[in-house]
Amino acid sequence: MNRKFWTLISLLLVAALLLAACGQKPSGGESAATGPVTIRFFHKWPEPEHMEFYNFVIQEYEKTHPNVKIVMESVADEPYKDKIRVLMASGEVPDIYFSWAGEFSWKFARGGQALDLTDAVMNSDWKDKIILSAVEPYKWQGKIYGVPMRINAKFMVYNKAMFEQYGLQPPTTWDEFLAVCETLKQNGVTPIAFGDEFPWAASHYIGDFNAKLVDPAVRQADYLLTAPAEQLFTDPGYVEALSRFQLLMDKGYFNEGPNGISHSGARSSFIAGKAGMMYIELEEFVTVADGMGADAFGFFQFPSGTGGKGDQKLLTGAPDGFMVYSKTKHPQEAIDFLKFLTSPEMGKEYVKRLGIPSAAVGAVSAETALPIVVAGVESINTASGMALWLDTDINIKIVEVYLPGMQAVLNGTKTPQQVMSEVQEAAKTVQQELKNQ
Amino acid sequence: MSLVSTPQQPASADYFQRSARAQHLSRFFAYLLFIVLTMIALYPLIWVATNSFKTDLQLFEHSWSLPKEWHWENYARAWKFGIAKYILNSVLVTVVAVLINITISMMAAYALARYQFKGRNLLLYFILGGLMLAPEVSLIPLFRILTTLKIYDTYLAMILPNVAFGLPFTTFLIRSYMLGLPRDYEEAAVIDGASALSVFWHVIVPLCRPILASAMLLDAMRVWNEFMFALTFIVSDNLKTMPLGLMSFAGALREQWTVVMAGIIISAIPMIALYLLTQKQFIRGLAAGGIKG
Amino acid sequence: MTISRLFSARRLTPYLFLLPAILVMATFVYLPIIENFYYSLFRWSSIDPRFTFVGLNNYKRILSDSIITVSLRNNVLYAVISVFFQVFIALVLAAILEGRVIRPRWGSFFRNMLFLPSVLAITVVGITWQLIYRPDTGLLNQFLEGVGLGFLKRTWLGDEGTAIYSVIAVSQWQWVGYVMILFIVAIQAIPEELYESARIDGANLVSQFIHITVPLVRETTLVMTTITVIGAFKVFDIVWVMTAGGPNHASEVLGNYLYRVAFRNDEMGYAAAIASLLFIITFLLTFVQLRLGRSGEEV
Repeated sequence: MNRKFWTLISLLLVAALLLAACGQKPSGGESAATGPVTIRFFHKWPEPEHMEFYNFVIQEYEKTHPNVKIVMESVADEPYKDKIRVLMASGEVPDIYFSWAGEFSWKFARGGQALDLTDAVMNSDWKDKIILSAVEPYKWQGKIYGVPMRINAKFMVYNKAMFEQYGLQPPTTWDEFLAVCETLKQNGVTPIAFGDEFPWAASHYIGDFNAKLVDPAVRQADYLLTAPAEQLFTDPGYVEALSRFQLLMDKGYFNEGPNGISHSGARSSFIAGKAGMMYIELEEFVTVADGMGADAFGFFQFPSGTGGKGDQKLLTGAPDGFMVYSKTKHPQEAIDFLKFLTSPEMGKEYVKRLGIPSAAVGAVSAETALPIVVAGVESINTASGMALWLDTDINIKIVEVYLPGMQAVLNGTKTPQQVMSEVQEAAKTVQQELKNQ
Repeated sequence: MSLVSTPQQPASADYFQRSARAQHLSRFFAYLLFIVLTMIALYPLIWVATNSFKTDLQLFEHSWSLPKEWHWENYARAWKFGIAKYILNSVLVTVVAVLINITISMMAAYALARYQFKGRNLLLYFILGGLMLAPEVSLIPLFRILTTLKIYDTYLAMILPNVAFGLPFTTFLIRSYMLGLPRDYEEAAVIDGASALSVFWHVIVPLCRPILASAMLLDAMRVWNEFMFALTFIVSDNLKTMPLGLMSFAGALREQWTVVMAGIIISAIPMIALYLLTQKQFIRGLAAGGIKG
Repeated sequence: MTISRLFSARRLTPYLFLLPAILVMATFVYLPIIENFYYSLFRWSSIDPRFTFVGLNNYKRILSDSIITVSLRNNVLYAVISVFFQVFIALVLAAILEGRVIRPRWGSFFRNMLFLPSVLAITVVGITWQLIYRPDTGLLNQFLEGVGLGFLKRTWLGDEGTAIYSVIAVSQWQWVGYVMILFIVAIQAIPEELYESARIDGANLVSQFIHITVPLVRETTLVMTTITVIGAFKVFDIVWVMTAGGPNHASEVLGNYLYRVAFRNDEMGYAAAIASLLFIITFLLTFVQLRLGRSGEEV
């Protein structure tokens, strides 16, 4: 009996092990000397058009580097935020991974998960091939931890036909903006399409308000948690920011129920001509152009901060880039591939295929991109600087209080003051924790 | 017509009539109720199915009507996008997990139902206790265990936790069934000198067939639909099971809802078909003593 | 009795039969629970894997975390509503289907149709209902508008007041038919003579239900209540797919909050403490059920 019994068990085990072997993905290539080098590459653009581009880059690279095999994985924007953490926790960190700029990337540096790329970038021709200002937000303690792939900023786009019909001009001050909204509303048009199912969308508004309503030095000290504990996030500009946001909701300038609509759902209704304006990223221009025609819409910088103490010439936006895992077995190859990916040649290809501005020098031009995209890039270049996405620029524990608070403001269940006092509490706690480490 | 089923009515004519009318009425309302419920149960899927053949514009303008032209290309796109791959992964994970689970559960249930031994009750609670535990509690440590075992982001990372969390219920079902089985066959086999394993294999397993079918179907439904382990333990797109795949599919296609709807329908079909094909056995197995009144 | 006799194959047989189950359960269910308690005493994150011992601070934090309160409230709501629909309503429906009012052929048709939602994957269900709940183009608001109930239109998943109910409603839609089938099986096991003699005594359907059906399916009712209540505390996937706990944490449940804290807020230790809380709750619920049911021997 015992023998048969164990036969059964071992059969099971063998079956299980076989499966495990099948399921095993190529590991980091322990036998680096002989076998091909495998580089694992992880990003947040699983959309078919994007995947085509990355597949193209990989093919091109592997042609000239037969010893390197690039294994790519991707998940969409929202799930990326937890998937990358899951991977960090598992120790199966990809050799090259996407990261938003600012605090989101710094915490990888703090946690020892990111390779210092300063030398690779600054002591080679790499530094001449990427827009250096886009590297800045990937610097932590003076060292470069990430390389930008593309640049992005937020603009208000508007339906040209509608503006013409109601005799409207792109506004340049907050009051003018409100007047435009009011006119549209009076004519039965939803002034602004807004989808805040995932509250990063609201955070882009608030980030912009904050940048223009709060003194830059004060804001910097708050975001970086270097201000004295008692002063963190106490500037009245923050409350004003939320109040202006609330005003847009209360006046009925947003569509109904933004918290129940996704950002892309709202974009569909803007494209369908059901709203006059929408606050979108430069990368989305091409989608809107595909949907309603490149000439059917225009853009302007959101005049959100008239009268505030912030820098009115700031633009909300950030580069998107990649980091290299600190413990990668193949730093040389990983860096080399990243350099190829961010090169002007690939950058041009990126702009051509996707219509999204690349961070490579000279990639965006009249030849590669739509005029309206070129104009957007122009605006980035003339802006006095960038205010990074709020949700990736401050510590995640504050984000997790701040962003739901914005949804509550939209729903009318919390006042701006309440939200800010919760943010202050969270900021104090985080500051304390960071000190203790 | 309702009289057929109730032949023993009291003789009073008045009562007879009243009761017949009441029966008609209650029959009417019962049918009405269930027709409405069936519509509530099915309409969401029917709505998705009809809209999956439209263009996005038609979806927004006339989501109630039948499609004017049938856009089969939505299905082609969904299929090309990898739905097929996700379903295949689901099939693999489900089949393997269910087979392992049923085998282990059968053996455990047999020991618990037929043997007297020290610690039996303790072991019974040890296994059945799993019924009550939330898998979330084990999530973070499980994650580290799988990493240590080097099976993170493999099929096994879904199969093994699924077996562990499915085992209590299947063991419970099979054991309850075994408790109701007569011992005659086993005793005869033992007298004939059969070993424990051969009694198990040649006597018990065949007798348990009805409950095995039900238990397998229930377990397959659970594994097929499992979401949290797949979400946490799988990164590679090539390994994703259908529930997770559909989610990334919807995420990547963003607003192409009609294609997403086609994907939803493709993903729903296998389990609906499996259930409709096996439902008779399923009910019979449960009725045969799995769950008692 | 010699040692060899004591450990003879015959005595070991049941243990050997149980061994795989025990191994699997120990490794993947019980060991993690113990580890979880250990992890909950530290501060650590996925990105920064250094463990900082913080004692019971994570537990103290649970007591003052208002999102935990919201989550618990939502879990309780989930449990209460689910017990009403998935135990009470499902039992009534099962009784009607088995009550000779509906012809058997139609009975099994209805039974299968109501069961169908439960075979669907959680993402299929979640995404479908997201589409139905959409404020502008969703089926529900269009339907309300169409039947003249336009004033009831809501941003179902985006409104803090309705989000959790909208998700709970989907769970009922999915599972009522499933539990109904289990009750049907239980009712079929009731001897037909009981109903016959009740009918002769002139008992109507309602009193047959109260006096025969309900008492005789008591065991199934208890099991289903327990499974439903505990299920309501385990819930994660449908919430994660449909609202991810939003807006403003209004639809947060413990399972969802735990996942968010672990893999979004970078607080693995605190997440482990929330997991412990979940464990204690389900443990207590099981204990209470065992005391109430006294059916421990049968389970």
